[in-house]
Amino acid sequence: MTITIRNEELILAKERAIYLPKEQLLAISDLHLGKAAHFRKAGLQVPSTLAQNDLNRLSDLLNEYQPKTLLINGDMFHHEVNTDIDDFEHWKEQYPTLKFVLVKGNHDKLDQKQYQKLGIEIQDPSYCTENFCFIHDAVKCTEENLYPISGHIHPGISVYGKAKQSLKFPCFYFGNDYAVMPAFSAFTGLSLVKPKATEQVYAITPTKVIKV
Amino acid sequence: MSIAKTKGYQQVLEWLKKDGKKPFKFQEEAWSFYAKGYSGLVNAPTGFGKTFSLFLAVVIEGINLAEVKDKKRAKDRLQLIWITPLRSLAKDIARAMREVLAELELDWHVGVRNGDTTQAEKLQQKKSMPEILLITPESLHLLLAQKNSSTLFESLKCIVADEWHELLGSKRGVLVELAISRIKGLQKNAKTQHLRVWGISATIGNIEEALDVIEPDVNAKRTIIKAKLNKKIVIKSILPDDIETLPWAGHLGLKLAYKLLPIIEKSKTTLIFINTRGQSEMWYQHLLNIEPELAGRIAIHHGSIDFELRNWIEDALHTGLLKAVIATSSLDLGVDFKPVDTVVQVGSPKGVARFLQRAGRSGHSPGETSKIYFLPTHALELVEAAAIKEAAKENNIESREPVIMVFDTLIQYLVTLAIGDGFDDKTVYEEVKNTHAFKMLLPEEWNWVMQFITSGGDSLTAYQEFKKVAKDEEDGLWKVKSRQIAMRHRLHIGTIVSDAMLKVKFLSGGYIGMIEEYFVSKLKAGDSFTLAGRILDFVHIKDMTVIVRKSKQKKAMSPSWLGGRLPLSSNLGSVLRKKYNEVLDKTHQEEELDVVYPLFLVQQERSHVPRNDELLIEMINNKEGFHLFAYPFEGRLVHEILAALVAYRLSKLVPITFSLAMNDYGFELLSDIEIPMDDAIAYEVFSPENLTEDISLSINSTEMARRKFRDIACISGLVFQGYPGKYVANKHLQSSAGLFFNVFNDFDKHNLLLRQAYDEVFYQQLEEPRLAAALHRIQQSTIVITYPKRFTPLSFPIKVDSLRANMSSEQLENRIERMKVEVFK
Repeated sequence: MTITIRNEELILAKERAIYLPKEQLLAISDLHLGKAAHFRKAGLQVPSTLAQNDLNRLSDLLNEYQPKTLLINGDMFHHEVNTDIDDFEHWKEQYPTLKFVLVKGNHDKLDQKQYQKLGIEIQDPSYCTENFCFIHDAVKCTEENLYPISGHIHPGISVYGKAKQSLKFPCFYFGNDYAVMPAFSAFTGLSLVKPKATEQVYAITPTKVIKV
Repeated sequence: MSIAKTKGYQQVLEWLKKDGKKPFKFQEEAWSFYAKGYSGLVNAPTGFGKTFSLFLAVVIEGINLAEVKDKKRAKDRLQLIWITPLRSLAKDIARAMREVLAELELDWHVGVRNGDTTQAEKLQQKKSMPEILLITPESLHLLLAQKNSSTLFESLKCIVADEWHELLGSKRGVLVELAISRIKGLQKNAKTQHLRVWGISATIGNIEEALDVIEPDVNAKRTIIKAKLNKKIVIKSILPDDIETLPWAGHLGLKLAYKLLPIIEKSKTTLIFINTRGQSEMWYQHLLNIEPELAGRIAIHHGSIDFELRNWIEDALHTGLLKAVIATSSLDLGVDFKPVDTVVQVGSPKGVARFLQRAGRSGHSPGETSKIYFLPTHALELVEAAAIKEAAKENNIESREPVIMVFDTLIQYLVTLAIGDGFDDKTVYEEVKNTHAFKMLLPEEWNWVMQFITSGGDSLTAYQEFKKVAKDEEDGLWKVKSRQIAMRHRLHIGTIVSDAMLKVKFLSGGYIGMIEEYFVSKLKAGDSFTLAGRILDFVHIKDMTVIVRKSKQKKAMSPSWLGGRLPLSSNLGSVLRKKYNEVLDKTHQEEELDVVYPLFLVQQERSHVPRNDELLIEMINNKEGFHLFAYPFEGRLVHEILAALVAYRLSKLVPITFSLAMNDYGFELLSDIEIPMDDAIAYEVFSPENLTEDISLSINSTEMARRKFRDIACISGLVFQGYPGKYVANKHLQSSAGLFFNVFNDFDKHNLLLRQAYDEVFYQQLEEPRLAAALHRIQQSTIVITYPKRFTPLSFPIKVDSLRANMSSEQLENRIERMKVEVFK
């Protein structure tokens, strides 16, 4: 689905990403790499294939859009360095020319050197383009002239129908004051957003992105 | 030597004689069989000294053995483990036991160990166990989770599971089975096998099976002792003067509350049973509003109320200080409150056994009559009252189906052993396989469970870096090394029955009780709610504690506690169908049915009253959508599956989306497009053909398994939300059962916990034979389809039910098109 905000085109992908053709930039948020492994270390059984599946989905996106920059809008790594992150390092070798940019989120607490070693450029607190300010938590944005695009809350939307029907999806939220991206990782819950009448929400189904 | 000649027996007889009493025959039988080394089951009504049948058996042996044995070592002290399902039982039984021991001058200690036991007391017990330990199933597992616990049971003579019928049908019963299997194994290992295992049970339909569960070894000496004592019970319904007084739906029943006042007044003490904790709070407020005189003379008792307050209420009950106590199932079981002479049941008890048990709370002495009043909360419950009366008269009492093959409970148990002294997998496999719950356990399933706790999952799916249970190289036992995992697990053991609960405290200090996190999450500062009969203003949440202040409000919302709904038992269902016939034919005896007759005329006028050999389907269109109501009268559990099955089969005819609701009488399918229905379709969708396959498919397409998985994820330790007040969950480890359900569905299809979720829907909920029988019955029946213009007395209660499931055969995208986002304006 392609939408226009501030006269700039944004492509909303069902794989939970936004592509900015003008910037040749692919943005995702809340990747939470290493979350599954962190759970396993603490004795909770979460399959390793989960994280690999997230990376495969990211590969599909990179192949489709061929961006110059991959922007991760916060919470790239869940907690600490573990096997999931070793897997990421290995996966990343396939993309030697791609620029990795991380906007720091509340979970991103690794040592500066570790980001360097992984070849990830850090932006704190935000990464700005001509029209947008990518920031993990929208309320912290100080760029008054730009439209903030945030992550952090893992937004979801409930839709209601006649006959007491309801459905719940992860979503993109484009509010009057700021936007929120869906969490990229499949191992995340949803926090429901309640849009005002003038705001746009795009639900993500397994097959496409739909305006609701 | 016959037991009658022993010193212990003589001493007990003398003590009884001094009080002018002599033992009942079943008590003597129990003493004698116990002395001969039997295990077994004692079946006796409450109020006839069933506690003494086994407690004194152990005491007699204790007195006799004290003769020949000199001073025991401290760690050899534990003689009797007495398992009680409820904490409130333990205190009372301990008091009775201590009195007897003092009279008999036997120097034994009685200890209590459960969620209310202080840390200091637990430490004291660790140093030196009492001879008799009263314990809940969860606390017994916590005991096994302690280091060096395996030496505690060497001279243990007997394990008694009190109120065994209550534990039998739940996973807590499996906890008991597993703990017994371990203690037996430990004694076998130490070559000190003198353990006998006994259950005490009220009358249930499958008493033989109850014995097989508690002592599964068919080669052991086993017996069932039945007390041939008849308890007189008088059942009376509180009838409205006019049927119009009663609503068509609802479960509160406050409109008839004024009729309770004279009953409370003329009784010594009245116990008022209400099905859920939330409703009990409302009743308490309401009784005080209509009769301010009762202030200070009535109290409210449920599981979420502070321990101290509960203690006070129980003491006040003993001394007869209170005129009435409003209670939930927390006072259901064997506590012996002498002054209680009247019991009131508000709303349907949903089962004959439960009703009789509650009735037994009054007239709690041999020879006295139990008196119980039934107060209906909606009109159709009067028919249920008539059905219960008949079933009680004919002793048509339900079975409690034991729980089997619950991998979540097995996983929890193995980790429990691993944080205690560790376990040898071959030994424990044999022990587990000898329990009733896991006798069908296959070696490959055991291997999967071992892999799940040691390497995270089966070899098909990678679980790198997984750490939980590992083999100790020194002694070859499986153990948990991480202290954090061990601590989290210990806090977790108790969660088998409860949702995440938060403490409630006054701003100025002072603890009031517990409340479900789910309810609190909906509160805003300044909102008021009721707890323990007080109206409170919500201030904020801090450190897992809800801070409140006293409210000036007169009215407030009551917290909802989940799990308040009980399904109608199948026994009651069939009697109920019969009663429907009788009302219309006017062939009945019961006054309840006279009162409800006008309602049946309304039903007949708007639609039809189904007879025993008919299935009624009502099709109603209104602005909400297209409704289909069907009334098989099979109870909520069967209707849940039946609704899904019929919805699934209809959805194969046309792409359609349903919302499903059900109660004990029938179910509703609601759609936004017209539902195809005629005689031919009706017989087809209610057909027993292809049943197993269609059920699996319909279960897969609803949320039933996902809902079951909530408990499973919690019990097996996958999700942990922290424990009230004691421990703040690690933020980095927060997740939900729903997320795990998705993850396993997508990435680890072989997961046995996932299979268990589907199996639980299939076998426990569904009772497939019962469903098949229902469908065969329907095939033989006449299906009557009516098209009422308005809701009928039968359909209305289902329509207003808010618990709903969904089922769809439509494209997701097409559905969204017609739906809209709820927008803040």
